[in-house]
Amino acid sequence: MSRKTSWKDSNWYVSIRGFVREYRKHRVGVFGVILLLFFIGMAVFAPNLATNDPGRSERVASPFEAPGWAQVFDPNAITTGEYMPDPLFASAPTEVIAGNSTEFGMVHHAAVNEEDPSYVNLTWTHTANTPLDFVVPPIPLSQLPDCRDFVYINETLDWPKDRLPNGVNFTVNYGVTLSGDFLNETNGGLMFKVYAWLIDTSNEWTMIYSSSPPYTPIIQPRRSLLSSFEINYAWAGMIRENGTQEDPADRLTVAIGLAPTKQFRYFSGEYPWTEYNGSVTVQVMSVSMICYGGYYGVMGTTNQGADAWSQLVFGARMSLTIGILATALSTVIGVVVGLVAGYSGGKVDEVLMRFVDFLLVIPFLPLMLVLAVFLGRSAANIIFVIAILGWTTVARLIRSQVMAEKNKAYVESARAIGASDTYVMFKHILPNVTPILFATITLGVVGAILSEAGLAFLGLTDATYPSWGIMLSDAQQNGAFGVGAWWVVLFPGLAITGLSLSFTFIGHTLDQVLNPRLRER
Amino acid sequence: MGLREYVIRRSIYMFLLIIAVICFNFLLFRLPSLVLGVSPVDLMISDRLRQRMSRELLLQLYARFGLVPNPDIFDWIYMFWRYLVSMLTGNFGYSFATQTPVIGEIMERLPNTLLLMGTSSVVAIIIGIWTGVKVAVDPGSRRDVGSVTVALFIFALPVFWFGLMLLMIFGFMLPNATQALFGVPIGFPLGGTIEYGLWVQAQQSPFGAIMIAGDILYHLILPMIALGVGGYGGYFIYMRNNLIDVMTEDYILTARAKGLDENQVLYKHGMKNAMLPMVTIIALTFGGLIGGAPLTETVFNWHGLGRYILQSLVALDYPVSQAAFMILSITTILANFVADMLYGVLDPRIRYA
Repeated sequence: MSRKTSWKDSNWYVSIRGFVREYRKHRVGVFGVILLLFFIGMAVFAPNLATNDPGRSERVASPFEAPGWAQVFDPNAITTGEYMPDPLFASAPTEVIAGNSTEFGMVHHAAVNEEDPSYVNLTWTHTANTPLDFVVPPIPLSQLPDCRDFVYINETLDWPKDRLPNGVNFTVNYGVTLSGDFLNETNGGLMFKVYAWLIDTSNEWTMIYSSSPPYTPIIQPRRSLLSSFEINYAWAGMIRENGTQEDPADRLTVAIGLAPTKQFRYFSGEYPWTEYNGSVTVQVMSVSMICYGGYYGVMGTTNQGADAWSQLVFGARMSLTIGILATALSTVIGVVVGLVAGYSGGKVDEVLMRFVDFLLVIPFLPLMLVLAVFLGRSAANIIFVIAILGWTTVARLIRSQVMAEKNKAYVESARAIGASDTYVMFKHILPNVTPILFATITLGVVGAILSEAGLAFLGLTDATYPSWGIMLSDAQQNGAFGVGAWWVVLFPGLAITGLSLSFTFIGHTLDQVLNPRLRER
Repeated sequence: MGLREYVIRRSIYMFLLIIAVICFNFLLFRLPSLVLGVSPVDLMISDRLRQRMSRELLLQLYARFGLVPNPDIFDWIYMFWRYLVSMLTGNFGYSFATQTPVIGEIMERLPNTLLLMGTSSVVAIIIGIWTGVKVAVDPGSRRDVGSVTVALFIFALPVFWFGLMLLMIFGFMLPNATQALFGVPIGFPLGGTIEYGLWVQAQQSPFGAIMIAGDILYHLILPMIALGVGGYGGYFIYMRNNLIDVMTEDYILTARAKGLDENQVLYKHGMKNAMLPMVTIIALTFGGLIGGAPLTETVFNWHGLGRYILQSLVALDYPVSQAAFMILSITTILANFVADMLYGVLDPRIRYA
């Protein structure tokens, strides 16, 4: 009987190319490899792919915001994000000097390199007795400064949507350098203020920020969460109602200004404007205005307003690491136990296999829960718990294979030339039983990934590191359904399914290709 | 080796396993006390309460849970004895958390768990076997490859997430949609085992039993689907692979050569033999039923044993975990025994192996 020689007659490791050729015939297996590569890429490039810090409490937007692309169904959707067209002043902003004074100025510095970013300097140099156009008497709670002479820079943003933002987080990053009398006097800091306004197209000004002393040249961010009144004043005019809107255009101007205060005209019996000589320089590094809407990022936000996409990307690391390490550990234990039991036979075999039987009757999931609760929540413990309960399948499989192999001629001849038991076990028998192991290992990874996800879902893993199970647990415990936040339920689960599916497909294909029992069918 | 010897051997083996499980169980739940020196009673009462308690009362409390303050080796032996007696008499002690008998708490949840697990397993097994047979007739066909892929997909599917999705779609989105369209929310409940209001109402109604049964069924459907789908893949693949193996045997060829029609070959000769290993799997499944599905029960807020075990573990309520663990292990061992027996009776070859 003549048989065509094929790679299957040789040892699997002799002909990698033959193996690959055979593997490629299984479409499911190829798909599994592609899927796995996708997730490995996700895990490896997680820092590059993630748009935010993956911490669970890293708030970037409101809780449960929908994914950004979901707004195609909502013409008036507002995506959470930066609305300043040029927050870092890459190009010079518009400079406006209100009034007729020549004491004010603005300088724009374009970025040279990373260490020398661009900024805008607002300056006010006062010479004693130079008159300024103060508002007399000062109007309390005015939206404008106490002096009609001041300087400001502005940038205009578009607001085409007919809806108010849910919230606005305004941040201006600046430092103030003082000289002359402004520096020396204890009251020098009261003589001026740094302001921020929102100006609509009807030229109504809403003051959203005004500074207070002390001032320092060190650049520091000043954050202010706009109140609903401020948002309403600034935005309401742009909202179209019954076909009309108050403001002529859907534009909003953000202005940062430097102005003398009423104290500069008259302060506790003195007239500082007649005495002060010196200058104030405000170095504005950046102005940011983050408007919160209902939509954020690639995959929306979680219950704490953190970026779901970043957590998902970093979660791939957790699942892959735990899945692979736990399986590696359990495979090592299983192979050693199986080899020893199968090769030694007799009493050793009996004891080891009874122990395996014992582990198999202990309810698996509850025992895993018990161990996870008792041992603690670190990743290493979770790996240990999954591995210590997962090696029995491998041990049984290896044992049965070894029992079949150990009476073959090659083992006998190896022993005859004086090879030690360990040598025979690991150098001769193990390579011959390995192919059948591959499928089991790959399917073991699936079990480990699902176990990790389940434990994380039950809150038994370390919650400081993002993981898909924790994302699902957060979603379930914080009523994601109640607000219809399907994205925090769908995507982490899809990721778990996708990753374990890739291993399932690969394992299934390996079984088809390498299992001699299936080959002959 | 005859059937009798086989039964005796398996019985002795089962007995040894039960002893091992009892000892293991004792050690496992006293691990925190042994290693960290924490007394469970400390977890139960606050320090202030402890200071105010009289010594007699404190000792009484310890005795109630079969514990000894600051145990030495003899106390451990005494505690083991107490444990052994309580386990063997079926008196599993009192829960730390609720101070009620553990066995009562367990019995209260057992029917729910058995109902959920039983129905879902039966559905999964029946559909699994049925489709497995249908597909194994023609291995490698488009239908076969498609179903195997689906089964692999189910294998990779986290069942608790599938449950979450079912809940979200049928428990939340569907009622919302029907509310908006027709003004009536139509859908499934968002978890739970029974509606409390309905339970109260049913007490007075003459058709109370039917109402309760209906409501439980209504709550049962979604978790049953989740668990059924989760279990289906395994049975399907197992049945298919077994039957494909069997269909290559010589006696199938003989049957075909005799001129039997294909249905008879498939069901009378093929399926009967392929069912043998299936019987073991089914027996083991029913042994494992009692453990419930902690994850799925948690997702659906099902008042079952699995969720109870989980809660007791997190709350360090050892008497409950210990008792539940014990019952679970022993049922698994018994199910294994039954599976072995069944196999031994159905397939005489195994006894002579």
